[in-house]
Parts: sequence; structure tokens; C-alpha cells
Amino acid sequence: MTDAPMKLTVVGVETPKLRKQLISVVSHALLIGASILMLYPLLWMLAASFRPENEIFTSTSLLPSEWSIDAYFRGWNGLRTSFSVFFTNSFIISILSVIGNVFACSLAAFAFSRLEFRGRKLWFALMLMTLMLPYQVTLIPQYVLFRQLGWVDTFLPLVVPKFLAADAFFIFLMVQFFRGIPKELDEAAMMDGAGPWRIYWKIMLPLSTPVLATAAIFTFIWTWDDFFGPLIYLNKMSDYTVMLGLRTFTDSTGTSDYGGLFAMSVLSIVPIFLFFLIFQRLLIEGIATTGMKR
Amino acid sequence: MTFPLSRRSFLLSSTAALAAGALGTIPTLAQAANLRLIFWGGQARADRTYGVVDLFTAENPDISIDGEFLGWADYWPKVATQTAGGNQPDIIQMDYRYIGEYARRGSLAPLDAFVGNGLDVSSFDEDQLRNGTIDGKLIGVSLGVAAGATVFNTKVLSDAGVDIDPMRWTYDDLLTLGPKVSESTGGAMAMAPDGSGIELLFENWLRQKGKALYADGQPAFAPEDVTEWFELWTELRNAKAIISPDEQAIDTGQLETAPLVRGKSAMNFTTSNQLVAYQTLVPDELGIAIFPATAPDSKGGHYRNSSQYFALSSASASPEAAIKFINFFVNTPEAATVLGVERGVPASSTMRDAVTPSLDERSQMVVKYIADLGEIAGDVPPTPPASAGEIEVALKTKSQEVAFGAQSPADAGPAFYDQVIETLGRSN
Amino acid sequence: MSIQNVASAPPSAEAEKVSGWRRIWQQDAPGYLFLLPWFIGFFGLTLGPMISSLYLSFNHFDLLTAPRWAGLDNYVRMFTNDPKFSASMRVTLFFVVFSVPLKLAFALGVALLLNRGMKGLTVYRSLFYLPSLLGASVAIAILWRQIFAGDGLVNKFLSIFGIVGPSWISNPNYSLWTLIVLSIWQFGSPMIIFLAGLRQIPQDMYEAASLDGASKWRQFWKITLPLLTPVVFFNAIIQTIEAFKSFTPAFIISGGTGNPINSTLFYTLYLYQEAFGFFRMGYASALAWVLLALVAFFTAFSFLTSKYWVHYDD
Repeated sequence: MTDAPMKLTVVGVETPKLRKQLISVVSHALLIGASILMLYPLLWMLAASFRPENEIFTSTSLLPSEWSIDAYFRGWNGLRTSFSVFFTNSFIISILSVIGNVFACSLAAFAFSRLEFRGRKLWFALMLMTLMLPYQVTLIPQYVLFRQLGWVDTFLPLVVPKFLAADAFFIFLMVQFFRGIPKELDEAAMMDGAGPWRIYWKIMLPLSTPVLATAAIFTFIWTWDDFFGPLIYLNKMSDYTVMLGLRTFTDSTGTSDYGGLFAMSVLSIVPIFLFFLIFQRLLIEGIATTGMKR
Repeated sequence: MTFPLSRRSFLLSSTAALAAGALGTIPTLAQAANLRLIFWGGQARADRTYGVVDLFTAENPDISIDGEFLGWADYWPKVATQTAGGNQPDIIQMDYRYIGEYARRGSLAPLDAFVGNGLDVSSFDEDQLRNGTIDGKLIGVSLGVAAGATVFNTKVLSDAGVDIDPMRWTYDDLLTLGPKVSESTGGAMAMAPDGSGIELLFENWLRQKGKALYADGQPAFAPEDVTEWFELWTELRNAKAIISPDEQAIDTGQLETAPLVRGKSAMNFTTSNQLVAYQTLVPDELGIAIFPATAPDSKGGHYRNSSQYFALSSASASPEAAIKFINFFVNTPEAATVLGVERGVPASSTMRDAVTPSLDERSQMVVKYIADLGEIAGDVPPTPPASAGEIEVALKTKSQEVAFGAQSPADAGPAFYDQVIETLGRSN
Repeated sequence: MSIQNVASAPPSAEAEKVSGWRRIWQQDAPGYLFLLPWFIGFFGLTLGPMISSLYLSFNHFDLLTAPRWAGLDNYVRMFTNDPKFSASMRVTLFFVVFSVPLKLAFALGVALLLNRGMKGLTVYRSLFYLPSLLGASVAIAILWRQIFAGDGLVNKFLSIFGIVGPSWISNPNYSLWTLIVLSIWQFGSPMIIFLAGLRQIPQDMYEAASLDGASKWRQFWKITLPLLTPVVFFNAIIQTIEAFKSFTPAFIISGGTGNPINSTLFYTLYLYQEAFGFFRMGYASALAWVLLALVAFFTAFSFLTSKYWVHYDD
């Protein structure tokens, strides 16, 4: 709306430059404004972790009346087991899940998107179906199953399914991206005598960095954030994950350490945020490779 | 497909339990066992509980105990999954609502055979034993006495010039004095929350009228009682003695959502054992009073409930050892001192006397409140029927419909009553 | 399954069978081999519990005692005599209809904005993703009350203009909207997937289009959007399934009650109450399979229509 008259009044070489600057300023203003909206609740949480306990629910000001880092020390050792144990457990489970998911789901996605075989549509439909049933009703049969396997009270129920591509979300995601990679590349490789495995390993995976990075980021974050699986399958506190530890902070029927809860909530975000920061680079690297190969 | 197998293992282990029960005279030395214990609660409760576990295992080195604790909301799905999956812990903390559900379905072992034979309940209050008895069998060992109570902010009330008699105050007091609180705080606070959806309060009011929630698995009140109840609260709401429906609906049952904690009301209707927890979240000093009476000397509304129980899994492989621990937990002064009144006032009079001198001021208040209830309190009601939990939720929802004006008290009474009948008659 | 059949059949000298075997080995076997981990997981871990729950949906099952056959009772009750079922269905459909398009539009808009190669891109992308990191944290419930309660942030802002707002989060007319806002606030995942999709569009196509004098707007309609359709399709399907199954936000914010007046009683929240609160796992299983049928119908329909608007390269 405002662009049109400007185009008429400003003449010459300056026009594109000025417009570009203007757009840039407006974009940044929009983005900064939006960022603040997005971040306010997080800032409040940060402030709450430094606040006196009885002020948390009564004060709406962003700044605490007194600053104290007590809650962090209290929270870290607040439960009978230190949070360092919970962080270690969460790391082990999340990293293993990333490896399992990226590998197993990309194999399945490659089959669904690139290979011809009988029953492909049927299996794909069944795979999508597994995504649609609420987990609440398969929980108990699954628990019985894992118990018969002797896996309850270990990390296995949380990790093994990831190596068996149990999360259809990622298969479907990768299928959509694999289908966007030009088929001429496979055909050329096939001419050179490459089998399916080499096409998968040498062509698909290297060209799919953005989607593999996306899968890695999501798996790590969602596994980290999951509390229901750990809640059901882990009994010993020395096996607890960070999220389960956080939930143990609050009991709705009794005394809870809310300061400790917020302090540990803040800390629990740090690793997943760092993981996100590191892996999002791969999202960007994707351009160059895909762009050039075309 | 997998259920027959878990049922078989369940049967096997309950036979083992029976066999062990029959051989109750086995010398205690032969009891090497590894027990699992699960309870809900916060860190404070866990510290005290594990403190007792440590005392116990020091005395009984042949028994080891793995404890696990969770918040209330996470506790029940986990216990249900473990039980259904054939992996139930030996000792399970239960509350008055769920204990009936589990006991009637055979998941908890009757303890009668152990009474006087490993489990000493001779100093227990009679009503505490009755609370833990389901269909004639002792299932739960009470871990603490609690009763319905009004927790109030002393500073807000005195600033408003409101003075209530903690053991005699009435709904009329709430109606006449309530507006003062709202005036003195410029409308920011009301004297009380909206209690129309709190089942314990409704039950208390019914009992003061000589009725009850349930008798023989059927409602022991009439549709008109429900209507009258909702009309009472509508009157209080119109007089601004209680908070608005919007504010009340924020309370989802978690402590931090209570109007008292959020500084919206000067009171909360709860149970006596919650006083200490509320105090940690409210800067002003709190006091404790009865639920409002229908008349100054009205009796029989309150009763001494059990805040929670320990129960024995019917699948436990070492019931003897488990009973030994439960007995230690409720009957030794060392344990009582460690536990304090965090779970409620001890059910055993001996333990109560042992623990009282060492309590802090707030906890002393709770002990005194339970003692003062004296003859205000009536008999304990029978264990609620199955599906009673669903009716408690339905009352909350119905109360909101009335408060927000979606239904009139006159219509809500019969509607709620029909819902109760339908729910009780429904099969699982 | 055909692999196993083949493996157990002894190799025969008969020419026809050999060629059949070879055909299978060359055509079908690679697909099945790549799917092997998924097959083990599907048949070993996923399928059994799914069939159990289907079986339980025809039973009364109270979790603690053996299931009792109920025939179609659960399904009949659902459609004839359960006001909470219809209430939860209404809440869920409302949520799906409003939250999914808004969240997708928001995610796509921000992804396009962030894909312009401007300065500070990494920072913005990270900031916008932060809310999604919180997941189901208990802290969210408290945060949301701070914002949408009667004396919350929103009303403080409105009071500048002299407007007295209700307590949004606990008023039955608005409470569902606060959950829709929460869902939109956590738009990070579809945003990242859109970004990854935008990254996959070869830059030289834009260069060629620029040389031909196509405007940015035209480039968006002719290049970006068509090439992005597989990702749009994916996000739409996934977000819809997730919205139908949405559980955690309502669970933490209403403390598991679905109140006020069942206005946030999401379908799966009701299902969860029935299963673990009221010991009716059979009924809950029936609820789950009705949801599955509904979502499967929607998904199948989307796949059928997808050939008209989703552009694959293959």
C-alpha cells in the first residue's frame, strides 16, 4: 500500500536500495515486536526462579523484589537424587533416540519413497494409522509386553522403539522430503550399477541434510520433554529424566518447592536450546548442496 | 491377548500370599525380603518417609525397601498401569476414594489376619479403623487423621473487622460479614471462595441436615437438597460474600490455584492436614476453623477422615515383611517423631501423645483442631460406592453451570440427581 | 510377509518359479529389507497393543479385573447416551478447525519471513522456537494463568483503553481460545519444517525466474508454493492429527478436569478420565477407535485430494 506511491516519487538508482532498507527496518521491527511477545512468558519464568517463594503467585511484576539464586542450589539437590543424574539420564536417552530415529526412519522412508514393492501402499497406510490411536489406550498392553520382555525399570522401552522406527511422524516427514529430491539422480546412479543401498547412502542421505537435521532436532527435544514414557517405565529415582524430576517437584496436594521448580525448568531448557542452535546450522547448509546438484 | 498371563501370575502370587498368611507363625528371622513402596507427595513427605525407611532397615537388615514417590496427578495412572501390568509394588499409599476401587477389585489384601499378629492397631482410634475397612475387611492402615476445615487469612479478616468464632461460625456469618471483606479490600478479595462445587463441603452441609451423600450405594439426599444447596451459594454470590465464578473456575484443585493462595479470598475450604502446605504459599498468618455451620451449635457435619492409608498389594511376595514395615511406620515413637503430622495427625493415640510436644506451632494448631472437633464431629460415613469419584467431578461441573448462569438452581438440583443415579447404575 | 513365504519355499528347478523368485528378489526384497526395522517394531511392539485395545473396546474392562465381553455396548452408549462424548467432540472439532489453520498460517508466514536471508536470522529463528521447547512443562500452566487470568497481563493491557476483560482462562466462553492461542504460540515445529522445505527449493530456479522478469509475488506463486506443497501437505495432515489427539495443554491448564463447564474437555482428556480416573478402559478404548476412524477418514480423504494440489518431483 505504501510502496506504490513511493515508487512513483523516488526516481533513479536509489529506489531499490531505499526500498530494501525500508523493508529491512520494517521486518526487523515486526520480528523484534513478535519476539518480545513470544518471550515474555519465558522471561517471567526466569524471573520467578530468582524470586522469593511466596511472591511467585501473587506478583505479576517482571522484576523480583529481591534477587536470589538460592532456588538453583535448592532445586539442583532438592530431590533425593541430584539433577546431575537426571541430566545424564536425559542425555543418554535423547542421544540414543536421535541415532535410532534418524537411522531407522530414513531407511523406512527410503523404501516408501523410492522403492517399488508389493503392498507398499498398504504398509504406508498402516504406518500412518499407528499415528492416529491415542497412546492412552495402548499403554497398558504395551506395559504388559515390555514387562514380559523384562524391560520395565530400564531405558529399553524408551529407546528400542526408536531403533525400530516406531514413530511414524518421522517416516512420513522424510518421505515427503525424499520425494522432493530429483529422481534423475537415482536413475543416473542406477545406470552406473549402484544398488538401493548405495543410492540411499550416497545420494539420499547427503542430499537430505535439512530434513535429517529437522528429525534430529525434534527427536532430541521431544524425547527430552517427554515425561509420560519415563513416568510409566522408570521406577528408580536414579533412572529418572529431567522432566520426571521436574514433575516430582510439584505435588498438588501438598507442599511444593515452586522456586526450585522454576529454576530447574530454566536449566532444563538450556541443553535442548543448545542442541537446537547447533543443529539448525545443518538446516542452512542444506541449501548449497541441494541447489548445486540440481 | 496378554491379560490371561498377567491374571495367572496374579493368581499364583495371591496363592503364595495366602500360604504365607496361613503360616503366620514363621519366625521373623526367615523374612529376608525386598519390598517396593510407592506413595504420592512432595519432597517434604519423601524426606520424612525415607527417614523412617532408613530407621526400619537399620533395625531389619534382612529387609530392603525401594521407595518411589510421585505427584498426585502422576501417581494414579502409574499405580493403575503397574497393577494392571502385574507389577504392583508391595506397599501402596491409598486415599479414601481409590482404596474402595482397588479393594473391591481384589488388588489389595485384607489385613485382618495380621491384626494382633504382626500388626498392632490396639491404640488406633476406632473411627480410623472403620475408615480403612471396606466391605467388612480391614484394607487400609490410616496414616493420619484429617477432617474438613476452613483455612483463613487472619490478617485480611482482622483488617476488615471480621471476627469469626472458629468452632461455631455459620453460613449466616458468611452472608452478613462477607461484604465487609470485599469492601475493605476495594473488591479485590472476597471472604470465601465459591464452595458450591466442593463435595466435602456439600456432604458436610447434608450431614448437618441429618442426611448424607450415600447410604447402601445410593444417594442419601433428595433433588430438592441440591437445589437448596445451589440457592444458598447463589445468595452468597449475589451478596458478594464469595468470589466470582470466573475467579473460582481458576481453581483446578492444585494448591497454587486456590483463591486463598492467589490473594482472591480470605479463606479456603479444605482438609486440616493442608494447613501447613497453604502456609508456605501465603505470606500472612493462617488460622483454622470448621466448615460453616447451618446454625451455631449444629453438630454431626464433620467427621474424622483418614488423609491416606498404607495398603498391602494382594500380589505381594513378602506380605509378612510388608506388614512389619507398616507396623513400624504407625506404631514406633521414633517413626512418629520423624513423620510429624505431615500426613495428618497420627491415628494411634500413643503416637499422637509421643509426637505432639515436638511439633511446631502450625502443626500444634492442627492437632488441637482435631481434638476440639470432639462432639461436633459425627460418625464416619461408609466407604463411597464405585464411581463416586465421577460424581465428585460432576458436582464441580454442575456448580459451574449454576454459577455462570447456564442453569438455575431449580433445574440443576434434579439434573444433578439424575446424573448421580445414572452414574451409580453404570457398569465399568 | 512375502519374504518369509519365499524363504521357506525350497528353491525349485522349475524355470517359472526361479524367475518368480528372482523377480521378487529384485523387485520386492529391497523394499522389505529397508523396512525390516519398521516391520520388527510394528509386529513386535506396536500391533499387539493396538489389537488389544481394539479387543478391549468391545469389553467392560476396569483395569484391575479381567475384561468382560460387552459386544457393542460401549459404542452404542457413545452415540446414544453420553452428553460428555458429544461435548468433548464439539470442543475438539472447534479446536481443530481454528488452531490448525491459524498455526499453519503463522508458521508459514514466519518461515517465509525468516527465509529472506536477512541479518540476525539465526537469532530470530531460535527465539521463535523457544516457546516450543517448553513442551508440557508444569510451568506453562502457571504462565498461562499469569497472562489470561482476571488480573493477568492481557487485562492489564486492555485496562489502558478502559476495557475490563473477563478472566479469559476460566470463563467458559473464552477458555478454549486461550488453549488455541497456546497452540499457536508453540508454532515452532511446523515453522522449522517449512524452513527445511524452503531450503530444499533450488536457488537457481529463482535466478532463472528473475532473469525472465518474474516479480517476487509471481515467483512465490509459481515456484515457492508449488514446490512447498509436499511440506504443506505434511504439516496439514500432522497438525490435524495432533490437534485431534491434543491432550497435554488442556490437561495441565485445567488440572485434568476439562472445566469450566467442560469447555476444555478435549476428546483425549475425556478418554483419559474414563480410563484412569473412572476405571473404564473398555469405554476409553472404544472412544479411541472412534477417534482413529474419524482421523483415518479425514487423512484418507486428504490423500485422495492431494493428487490435485500436491506437486511431487517424482
